[in-house]
Amino acid sequence: MRGTLSVVVAAASIAISLGCATSAFAQDRGRAEQRPAKNPYEGKAEAITNGGAMFRTRCAGCHGPDAHGYLGPDLTGFWAAGGTDDRMFDIVRKGIPGTEMIAADPMRVLDRDIWQVMAYIRTLNAVPATAPSGDAANGAQVFRANCSSCHMVNARGGQLGPDLSRIGSARPRAGLHAKLRGTGNFIRPGYEPVTIVTRAGERIRGVRKNEDEFSIQIMDMRERLQGYLKDNLSEVRLEKQSVMPVYGPDRLSDRDLNDLLQYLAGLRGADATSR
Amino acid sequence: MRAVNVRVLQVAIVAIAASWTLAAQAPAPTQVTAQDLRDGLKNPTRWLNYGGDYGNQRYSPLTQITPANVSRLTAQWQFQTDTLGKFEATPLVLDGVVYVTGPLDTGWAIDARTGRQIWRYRRELPPGLIACCGLVNRGFGVLGDRLFKTTLDAHIVAISRKTGAIEWDTPMVNYRHGYSGTTAPLVVKDKVIAGVAGAEYGIRGFIDAYDANTGKQVWRFYTTAGPGDPGHGTWRGTDQKAWENGGGSIWVPGAYDPELNLTYWGTGNAGPDYNGSAREGDNLYTASIVALDADTGALKWHYQFTPHDIWDYDSTQMPVLADLTLGGQLRKVVLFANRNGFFYVLDRATGKLIRAKPFIQTTWAKEIRPDGRPMLEPNSVPSEDGTKVCPDQTGGTNWMPPSFSPSLNLLFVTARESCGVFFSWKEDYAAGDAYRGGAVQRLVDEQYSMLRAIDVLTGEKRWEFPYANQSWTGVLSTASGLVFAGSSGNVIAFEGKSGKQLWHFQTGSTLYAGAITYMVDDRQYVLMPSGTTLTAFALAAF
Repeated sequence: MRGTLSVVVAAASIAISLGCATSAFAQDRGRAEQRPAKNPYEGKAEAITNGGAMFRTRCAGCHGPDAHGYLGPDLTGFWAAGGTDDRMFDIVRKGIPGTEMIAADPMRVLDRDIWQVMAYIRTLNAVPATAPSGDAANGAQVFRANCSSCHMVNARGGQLGPDLSRIGSARPRAGLHAKLRGTGNFIRPGYEPVTIVTRAGERIRGVRKNEDEFSIQIMDMRERLQGYLKDNLSEVRLEKQSVMPVYGPDRLSDRDLNDLLQYLAGLRGADATSR
Repeated sequence: MRAVNVRVLQVAIVAIAASWTLAAQAPAPTQVTAQDLRDGLKNPTRWLNYGGDYGNQRYSPLTQITPANVSRLTAQWQFQTDTLGKFEATPLVLDGVVYVTGPLDTGWAIDARTGRQIWRYRRELPPGLIACCGLVNRGFGVLGDRLFKTTLDAHIVAISRKTGAIEWDTPMVNYRHGYSGTTAPLVVKDKVIAGVAGAEYGIRGFIDAYDANTGKQVWRFYTTAGPGDPGHGTWRGTDQKAWENGGGSIWVPGAYDPELNLTYWGTGNAGPDYNGSAREGDNLYTASIVALDADTGALKWHYQFTPHDIWDYDSTQMPVLADLTLGGQLRKVVLFANRNGFFYVLDRATGKLIRAKPFIQTTWAKEIRPDGRPMLEPNSVPSEDGTKVCPDQTGGTNWMPPSFSPSLNLLFVTARESCGVFFSWKEDYAAGDAYRGGAVQRLVDEQYSMLRAIDVLTGEKRWEFPYANQSWTGVLSTASGLVFAGSSGNVIAFEGKSGKQLWHFQTGSTLYAGAITYMVDDRQYVLMPSGTTLTAFALAAF
C-alpha cells in the first residue's frame, strides 16, 4: 500500500515540477474556455467509465479506491454536504495550498478530464455522514500534552513532524485514527525516519530532509538540522517505522482519541491565514 | 607645443603599427564547413554537433584531464541564464566561444575562457504554446557563420553566429495543433535537418530538411505512414485516420554516416499514448529508427523497436554509430539503448538486427526474437483498472544522451529500473488538446537510477553506479579513460573501465543535459549545464 501512496505524492511533485514552466501559457488556454456551472458529463455512461479509470490513476491513491477517503478526504459526500460542481472543479484545477492536493496542470489534465472524473464520483454511494462527536476542547488539551512537542498548529509547537494547521482539510478522520493507532504507515516526504551511524560509532536518529550520492541532510530528534558526509558515516539506514510513537489504547483512551480527532478535524488553517 | 605634437604623432604611429601587427596575427574568423562537421572531434578543441561527432559517441580525444589528475578539477566560471526553466541543451564550442540554447527560446554566445556573455538571443513567443514537458531546447546546429535552432512555436531559424540576429525564419507547421520544436538540428552538407515534438497532442510527426542558406524546405519524411506510403497498412482499426494523429515525434537529433549518406533518427511514441484500440497494427514508423537518404529524405530502411506502442516508449534516444568486430567481422553498426529497456545492435547499412538484450528489467516483452520482433508478455496492456508494466513510461533510459568509448567498447547509459501501473481510457482527438488515452502511476518505491556500462560486444552489464535520485544526465567519455555523468546536482567523474568514482562537484541544481569538453589556450575544460547554470571546470593551475 505504501508503494501506491508514495506514488501519488511523488507524482504530485513531478506534476508540479513539470507544470511550473508551462503555467503562464497554460492559463492563456484555460481562459479561452467557458466553464459550465453544471457538469456537462454527468450521467453519461462513457464519461463515467473514462472518469473511473482516471480516478483510479490520479485520485485513488489518496482518496481511496471507492473515494471514501484514506489519506485525503471522502469525496462521495461532497455534494450532500452542500458542495457544488463548480467548487469541486475549482479544487481539482487549483489544488488546496498547504496540503498534498496539488493543482491539475492544464497541459496534462483537460477540463473534460476533470468533468469525467466528477461524473464518476457522482455514481459512488455516499457514506452517511456521522454526526460529529467528541469534545474538541479536551482534544486540544490532549494535543498539547502528547503531540505539540513535535507538531506545530498555528505557529505553536515543535517541528520534527509536519505542521498540522490544515490537517482537518487534508486528512479524513479515519486516516488520522489509523496514523495515531499505528495501523497506517504513510510518511510524508521530508519526514522519513533515518538512523545514521558515524565512523566514531555515534548513532543519530531523525527525519531525512534531503540526500544525494555523497551526503544526507537530517533533522535529529532534538530538531537540529545538520548535513553529514557519507564518507564519515558507517551506516545510513532508512526505516519503515515513523519516528512518531504509536498511540495505542494504553497511551490514549478511546475517548481521548475521539476528542483529539474532533480537535484535529477542526484544524482548517483559518487561524494561520488570519495571522 | 611642437615637441608634444611630435610625440603624440609618434605614439599614434606606434599604436597603429601595433594594431596592424595584431590584426595580421589574429586568426581569421572560422567558417564551419561541411567537412569540419564530418571531421567531428578530430579537432577536439571544438564541439560542433549535439553528439560531438556525427556518430553521437560523445567521446573526446582530449587527454589533459585524466583519472590520475581529475581530483584537481575545479570550477573556473559559471554562467546563469536569468530565466525560468532549465537547460536540456548540449552547448557547441568553436574558436573559444560557447554557443548554447536555453529555456523559453533563448540562446547565448559566451566567452569559453571566462563565461562572460557576448550576445543574447531571445525569441518573442506567441501565447498558447503547447509543450508537454517543459519549454526547453536541446541546442544549436552550426554551419558557415550561422547557427540553427528549432523554436517552441515550431519554426526553424538561422541566427548569425556573430550577432545573434535572425537571418531566416521558416515555420515548420502550425504550433497551435500541438507541435513544438525542441530538438537540436542535425546539419549535413548544405542542409539543416530537424523534426517536431508533440506526440502527446495527436500530432503527425515528421523529419524535415531545410536549405542552410535560404531556409527553404528541401524534403519531408512523415513518421506515420499515410495513404500510399509503404507501411500505411500498419494503421488499422476503428479510426480510419489514426495515422493523422499517430504521434511519432522527433525531439532529439539523429546521426549521420557520410559514407552511406544515411541519416538515422529515433521516432517518438504512437498516439494516443496508452490506448491503441483505435489504431490496431504496428503503427509504422512510430517508436522506430528510420534511415533516410540525407539528400532526398527517402526511406532506406527502418527498424521498429516497439510495434504498436501503448506504453509511451518513445525511441527518441540517440542512435550511436560504431564500427565493431563481431564474430570476427568488422561491422558498421548503430547502438541503441531504448526507452523500452532493450539494448539493440543493428547493421546500419541494412537495418538488420544483430542483437537485442534487456539492459533493465522489462515485463512488456520477454525478449526480442531473431526476426527482430518483441515476444510480448501477457497482461501488459494498459487497462481501466491499471496494469503493472516494467519499465514505467519514463523508461529504462530517456533523452539523456549516452556515451560510447571505442577504446573500452563500453556504452555508458543513464539507466533506471522502474515499474508503473498503466491505465487507459477512451480519448477523442481535438486539435491542440492532450491526446494520451490514459496515464501511469509510477511505483517510486520500486525504482532506482544508475549509470550503467554496457559491453557492446556482448550486451552484458559491466558495471554500474547507483544514484540517490532519478538522473536525467547525459554522459561524456574521454580518451584518457574518464566518464562524466551525474545526478542530484552532482557532476561526477568515473574511471571508465571500472566505474570507480573519482571526483564530484555539487552544482546546486538538477542536471538535465550532458557535459561536453573543449580546449582553449591549451587548457581542457569540461562544461556542464545544470538547472539554468553552466559550470566550466579545468585543472587547478599550480
